[in-house]
Amino acid sequence: MQALTDNSLMLKVKSGDTDKLGLLYERHKKRLFGFFYNMSGNASLSEDLVQNVFVKILKYKHTFTGEGSFDAWIFKMARNIYYDHFKKYNRKIDVNPLSSIEYKLQDSDDVNAKMDYNDNVVQLRVALGKISQEKREVLVLSKFKEMKFSEIGTILGCSEGAAKVKAHRALKDLKTVFMQMEKI
Amino acid sequence: MEKKKFEMLAMEYLSGTMGSEERIEFDKFLKTSPEHLQEFNDIHYAWSQIESMETPEPSEEMDSRFYEMLHAQKSKTSEGHKNIGEKIMSVLSGILRPQLAYGLILLCIGLGVGYFMKSNPGIETTTVVNEETEEIRGELVLTLLEQPSANKRLQGVSEANKFKKANDKVIKALLETLNNDPNVNVRLAAIESLTNYLDNPIVREGLVQSIVKQESPIVQVTLADLMVALQEKKSVEPFKKLIRTKELDKSVKEKLETSIHSII
Repeated sequence: MQALTDNSLMLKVKSGDTDKLGLLYERHKKRLFGFFYNMSGNASLSEDLVQNVFVKILKYKHTFTGEGSFDAWIFKMARNIYYDHFKKYNRKIDVNPLSSIEYKLQDSDDVNAKMDYNDNVVQLRVALGKISQEKREVLVLSKFKEMKFSEIGTILGCSEGAAKVKAHRALKDLKTVFMQMEKI
Repeated sequence: MEKKKFEMLAMEYLSGTMGSEERIEFDKFLKTSPEHLQEFNDIHYAWSQIESMETPEPSEEMDSRFYEMLHAQKSKTSEGHKNIGEKIMSVLSGILRPQLAYGLILLCIGLGVGYFMKSNPGIETTTVVNEETEEIRGELVLTLLEQPSANKRLQGVSEANKFKKANDKVIKALLETLNNDPNVNVRLAAIESLTNYLDNPIVREGLVQSIVKQESPIVQVTLADLMVALQEKKSVEPFKKLIRTKELDKSVKEKLETSIHSII
């Protein structure tokens, strides 16, 4: 099964076997979409950015060494693409809670449940939008169950311990925002 | 406890990466320090909110765009290779003057003799690489056939056509697709793909058994044509069974009767 690990597939892509990128795409598309979506709250932008990640992988495949975690490598690239996008278009990063409601409305039947659900979604999205980008990203990455803090550290360019401290402080900020929202 | 240490331990606790003994110690510590307990409860609440956060599925359009991009990239690469080939040929045509031709012929003979005389490990390496490629392609086919999008499943069937020798898992998945896929086009593509392996008895048997499971007239007719072409006598009984069903389209019924007649 060595031939099927992410790193060995990516090495094959690097050596010119572009077909293998399809398997890597199938394995990582949902989490990458989730990362962009939870960062921006914008579904169509997130799909564009996922596409950009794979275009960039092909462009910079020669830089892949096969050492270290593939997850860390691809998410580091995703993170750069995310920040570059907003830098390039000089846009303010703004989490849009309404976009997530529209997306979720499609597959729920019960109206009351839908409203409750939407309230919670909006509350969480608004709260996430009020904390800083750096804090939001550490929380979004921590949410991925398979992602270790050592990998999050590599993505953010800090140590494993520093990643844990960042996540802790981000959660504290989020809780403070929730409390402020309750008072209103 | 030092602030940073507490922050790190609390995150290990929440993310489930802390060992059981350390958890007990941490619980004990929290009971002795109301201030830390309050902070832990706060972040625990925020963490549970984050944990419950759901992400929608990306659209099928994202997949289509990706595969278009991949296809374009592959075409570009193969064109690049063609250009390199053309360049080499143009260089060769420049140097293929009579005085060099004799030398080149000798070189080719030497290489040819060398190739046949040595025990060739290159062939073995190529075989291993091909096996790996087939294995990966198999995985890709199985993944694609399970996708909710009909487009993706069609891509899966088309990938299956690229096998030099399909493995049992892929054949089983194609037969499963033929019998259960909700989309007629995918089922038709599966039939076409399975016709690559008609020398395999499992495939022939699977195709015969699938006759009674088909409800779409176009799939029924396609299978009938295939069975006539194969002169598969085992298919007569399933076709007769199909004809006896009330819902069968009249023209399909006539077609099946003609097919049975042609097979017998």
